[in-house]
Amino acid sequence: MVNERYFYYLFTIQALINIVNFVPRVLIDNRFEGALMSILVSVVLGTTLLIIFTKIISHFPGEGLPEIIHDTLPRFVGLPLLCIFAFLWYESGAITLVSFVDITLRFITPDVSPVFAIIGFLLLVTMCSRLKTESILYALETTLIINCPLVAYMLIKALINPHFSWDAVMQIITHLWTIPKYNSIAGASFIFTGYVNLAIFNRAFKSLKLRHLWMIPLSGLMVLLVTLLVPIGYHGTIGVEQQVYTWFSTADAIRSEFFIVERVLFIFYFSYLAMSLVSVVVHWHIALELVKGFLMKKKTKGVKAASNKDWWTLGLMTAGTVWMGFYFDQAKLTMFGQWFLNVRLPGELLLLATVLVAYRRRKKRA
Amino acid sequence: MPTKPNEQKMEEWLVEQLTGLMDFEERSLGNSGDIKMIYLRSLTDSDTVKRFIVVPSYEMDVQEYENYIFSFPGSEKTKDRQQVMEFVMKGYIFIRIKDSSYLFDAMKIEFSGISSSITEAIVQGPNDALTENIEINVNLIRRRYQSKQLRIEPLTIGNVSQTTVVVMYDDSRVDRDVLQEMRKRLSEISVDILQSAGELEKFISERKYRIFPTTVVTERPDRVVFNLAAGKVAVLMNTVGYAVIAPSVFNDFFTAMDDKIQLPLVGWFMKLIRYIGLFLTVTLPAFYVAFTSYNPEILKIQITLLIAGSRAAVPYPSFIEVVLMLLMMEFLIEASLRLPKAIGPTATTVGGLILGQAATQAGLVSNIMIIIVSAVAISNFVIPLNMMAFTVRVLKYYLIFFAATFGLIGIVVSTVGIVMYLSGMRSFGKPYLEIFPKRAYQGKGDKQHG
Repeated sequence: MVNERYFYYLFTIQALINIVNFVPRVLIDNRFEGALMSILVSVVLGTTLLIIFTKIISHFPGEGLPEIIHDTLPRFVGLPLLCIFAFLWYESGAITLVSFVDITLRFITPDVSPVFAIIGFLLLVTMCSRLKTESILYALETTLIINCPLVAYMLIKALINPHFSWDAVMQIITHLWTIPKYNSIAGASFIFTGYVNLAIFNRAFKSLKLRHLWMIPLSGLMVLLVTLLVPIGYHGTIGVEQQVYTWFSTADAIRSEFFIVERVLFIFYFSYLAMSLVSVVVHWHIALELVKGFLMKKKTKGVKAASNKDWWTLGLMTAGTVWMGFYFDQAKLTMFGQWFLNVRLPGELLLLATVLVAYRRRKKRA
Repeated sequence: MPTKPNEQKMEEWLVEQLTGLMDFEERSLGNSGDIKMIYLRSLTDSDTVKRFIVVPSYEMDVQEYENYIFSFPGSEKTKDRQQVMEFVMKGYIFIRIKDSSYLFDAMKIEFSGISSSITEAIVQGPNDALTENIEINVNLIRRRYQSKQLRIEPLTIGNVSQTTVVVMYDDSRVDRDVLQEMRKRLSEISVDILQSAGELEKFISERKYRIFPTTVVTERPDRVVFNLAAGKVAVLMNTVGYAVIAPSVFNDFFTAMDDKIQLPLVGWFMKLIRYIGLFLTVTLPAFYVAFTSYNPEILKIQITLLIAGSRAAVPYPSFIEVVLMLLMMEFLIEASLRLPKAIGPTATTVGGLILGQAATQAGLVSNIMIIIVSAVAISNFVIPLNMMAFTVRVLKYYLIFFAATFGLIGIVVSTVGIVMYLSGMRSFGKPYLEIFPKRAYQGKGDKQHG
């Protein structure tokens, strides 16, 4: 059983990591068509969903989603639901991984074979996602505490740069009153989805009572504004659409004159690599546990058999990711990433509905 | 007299068991012929035997003598053959007076006196180190921890060595789960010889193959006391001048006893220094490999050129250079550890000065490499506890391997791997790497949990 501060780490990592996924891409595509408004909408939406979900899940102390579903829903409903959720979490991790491989090749080591890079990442992630739920939370804490100062440093460095064009930012702000599109809301609300990880990580919490909830919409708003506006301040309102990995190009525009490492890009890349890997471990751990939840209804005999099943599941997940790595070129990957963001929001609502129904049924029974 | 044959038999049995041992003694005492003693010369204090056993036996009658012997603390009346055998092997004297058997404590204990601690030296503060005698160690700790809650549970481990092991804890503060676990693991140990704290550490820890120590092995009584007060369990052994403390987490290995003595800000600074030292000693060689062989563009251009210039004469890739120099350094450390004190400085001079100087001039290694190797060696010694220092010494090769195969990405990925591995570890059920750990015992009013 762990302290509730770990919930905030789950939230924080998701909020920070969105830069690597396709959230900035979606927002920047819609910068004249309601991106800012969608940010405001998604702050309200995301916070509401977060509060509802954590309130409900706190009535299931120490229980994960598979247990909740098994306990309250019939198997023919529960099984497909768990499948869908497991797939969504798996994809969320896989997309982060595959896009990171692409970024690595483009920005850091063009001469390393992509196979090597993806195998290196996958080795780490598969080995670590079998750890205990609590252990992953400890690792998450350590990683964030090491990396957050770096992120803060880069952010400050970015904002005090004299070449940062506040005019471009102002121009985007003039487009505030535009009706937002669905995909930009779906994208922007992605940064609040750290809470859905409770579906498994709730097992580690005794009973979740959240304090300082006001920090969540506030920090979410800041993160989203930074996500959208900082690249625009660097590349201009029009130039920004030419960048694929907007944030990496932005980081590459910043120079740290007095440090051993001159290009901020490298610090940015490495701290985000560390955080992304941990975030993928979090997501794959959940996917693995969900799969275990619906595959192993009856208790598996012995530790060995259970660990074998783990490896089979992880093997499939790995194979899928390797296939994605080979099959997806940049355009397909971007499309898939954006499609994932669009699908994710209904998935989240579905999760919320599932937990809500489960809660109702349990209450009725009690 | 129903017991008589029994007592006679016990005596005969004991004689039979011990005959053939070179230091076996069997003597009749007094004028009556009713008193007999059996003991092993090498384990007993001959002065005690003469003054308190032999001489009085001629000055009193048998009944008085029996009372007299029994009045000594540590004397025992017994009928158990097994116990007699065990105690005689410890240095007790078996005395038969008429029909009863007594065991008289005349142990001779040879040990080096209390010396100051060597492996965990500090600047200020208490200097005593644990000795190789358990009685004295318990005394050293009791004197510093004067609480009636301090519990001391003795047990014996080792089929042949029969080492006395003592579990110490503060009853009001200890974490019950840890204590249970410790008792269980100690009772499961089955070995012939147990004669170092390191072996004990291995027997009671979770995994067989692991690289990080999960229990602190210390020779400082003040560290033991400090940990007892924090609700931990200490295990002391006879014949060993070290104590094993559990549960121990990552941070414990970077705590020196100085930290308490220094002013708070200074203490934090010292701790920060140790973590920086850890970071440097583990990553510097790996970074060197990655920067020279994979990603020279990351550094400032001046630094890159500096390294490249310094490496101009070196004929092989950087990781061979690094491994070569690090191995030389390891040899140097090993050699200066084993060499007699008189030759020791020669090794360092030859190795450090001459080899380093000549190697750079010959162009076998770069100047910067020499600096890095010395920095690595020095910062490794910053870690206060030896077990961890050795772990870190091994750890850097793991990073070098990944740096040589994947470059900088390898370093970052394997560092994340280390963090994950550490987070997955447990010391007696407690998380090994938690940045803000829950204390087993908080303040006075709190109840212990568990």
